[in-house]
Amino acid sequence: MKRLLNGNEAFAYGAIVAGANFYAGYPITPSTDVYEFFENNGEKYHVKFVHASSEVSAVNMIMGASIAGARALTATSGCGFSLMQEAISYMAADFVPCVILNVMREGAGLGDIPRSQGDYNQMTKGGGNGDYHSIVLACKSIRDCINMPRIAFELSEKYRNPVIVTYDSDIAHTKESVEINISEIKNDTNELDWILNGNKTNNPKRIQNIYYHDKGYDNNLRNKYELIEKNEQRYEEYETSDAEIVLVAFSICGRICIDVIKKAREKGIKVGLIIPITLYPFPQNAFKKLNCCKKIIIVELNILKQMRCDVEYYTKQKYEYHSINSMSTCPTVLDILKYIEEMR
Amino acid sequence: MYDLLCEGCGHRSAMMLLDEIIQEKKIKEKTILALDVACCSLLIDFVEYDSIMCAHGRVLDVTKGYKEMKKDNVVISYMGDGAAYSIGIEEMIHSARRNDDALTIVINNGLYSMTGGQVAPTYIDSSNLGFKIEEIISNFSITYLARAALSDKENINIAKQYISTAFDKYMEKGGFSLVELLSPCPTNYKLSPKDAANMINEKITKVYKIGEFVNA
Repeated sequence: MKRLLNGNEAFAYGAIVAGANFYAGYPITPSTDVYEFFENNGEKYHVKFVHASSEVSAVNMIMGASIAGARALTATSGCGFSLMQEAISYMAADFVPCVILNVMREGAGLGDIPRSQGDYNQMTKGGGNGDYHSIVLACKSIRDCINMPRIAFELSEKYRNPVIVTYDSDIAHTKESVEINISEIKNDTNELDWILNGNKTNNPKRIQNIYYHDKGYDNNLRNKYELIEKNEQRYEEYETSDAEIVLVAFSICGRICIDVIKKAREKGIKVGLIIPITLYPFPQNAFKKLNCCKKIIIVELNILKQMRCDVEYYTKQKYEYHSINSMSTCPTVLDILKYIEEMR
Repeated sequence: MYDLLCEGCGHRSAMMLLDEIIQEKKIKEKTILALDVACCSLLIDFVEYDSIMCAHGRVLDVTKGYKEMKKDNVVISYMGDGAAYSIGIEEMIHSARRNDDALTIVINNGLYSMTGGQVAPTYIDSSNLGFKIEEIISNFSITYLARAALSDKENINIAKQYISTAFDKYMEKGGFSLVELLSPCPTNYKLSPKDAANMINEKITKVYKIGEFVNA
């Protein structure tokens, strides 16, 4: 069935198709459509909805539901996402899966609600305390918003780690016509072997992150992130094999850059594009295949050039790097094209 | 039993009561114990139940999420007074407001014991008036609220009776149940176990009254 959906509605439908069955949340713009969707439609699609009294409560509720075998999720933005960091760290340490949507807001503090990508560091480097990462998946289209919850739940269950899905408010509120098939819904509770259901075998299961006897804690965490970095890098690449200039951009910027390379190629400029889908693990493999690249332009919506630090680090600073970036003013196709032409 | 706890610690009495009650009611196979941090976390390697180590003050949120998905299990929310009435008071109030299916045990010793005995909101002296949960949540439509003391045999028997009632209400009627246990911390009171227990009987129970406040 074809539907005209914005990114948030598409994400909610995608979560239902992926088997979500528990949502706890607290409203915050620009993610609130997801909250409202589950508030209004949760019962219809067999998703238990809870009005949490804060983002802190919401994220701890999804932790509890996940330990009972739920496919549990919440959605938030900006400062709401900050409030969830302690529990995300706990879930990473506890090996508890969950999916959290973070629709990024502009700036620091309360900031404002235009498009922005300033949460890059917070999402990819941790955000909470201690030695952990969240897996971070970025959507660049409404189609991605439909598909990403399934990938997110699969990865979170495979590695027993929180997965953050993210995009900016342009993706959240742009409407596109997309195909959805809600008849595929499976929202039974998981019965994975680590789920708690009472000690029936004289072998109690423990969801724990403090160990007085077990010495395996550090190795378990280290192995988890080594496996994720080795196996789960995801990206899209466009015309990179002969590209002398490679654009790197995610979410709305990635979307815009697809048009940039078409226009540039029409002008005979060899431009390629890498769109990271996983922001963590950073898709460093994408850069190993560049044969002719001399210059990299990172297009991102934050003033600190947050993703550029990762690009420079993972490519060992062997290219010439440029940034097109601002807090929330999205460059147009022509802006980027002009920059490329002047840069040459 | 519970080897990491100090001598005379109220957590040991509380856990032994829970063990007895769970055994008597034959519900071990469907019991989940959700623990708060600090001294509560010292129990996790010893308990025979499926158990969860929660963030400080968030036990009631975690158990809310769990219970929504597995309604037949008995989920004990076990925490100290710092978790229940200080950092987690928001969760406590909203869980009581919603009358969540919650079986809450609060170990109240008036202090942050793991970190060395700093005063908690429950502490009482000339400048600290204490914190009485019955003054906060009794007017919500909750199922059960009681307080007992883990100070001597007689009081421990009363505690067992209250906890047992809370279990029965939780399993039969549902809704929010809370039993607060006035609990000695000899290490931080800097008293012998016997003197710490006596102080609860002689001083603490004069302010924190023992009894059932809600029994719906």
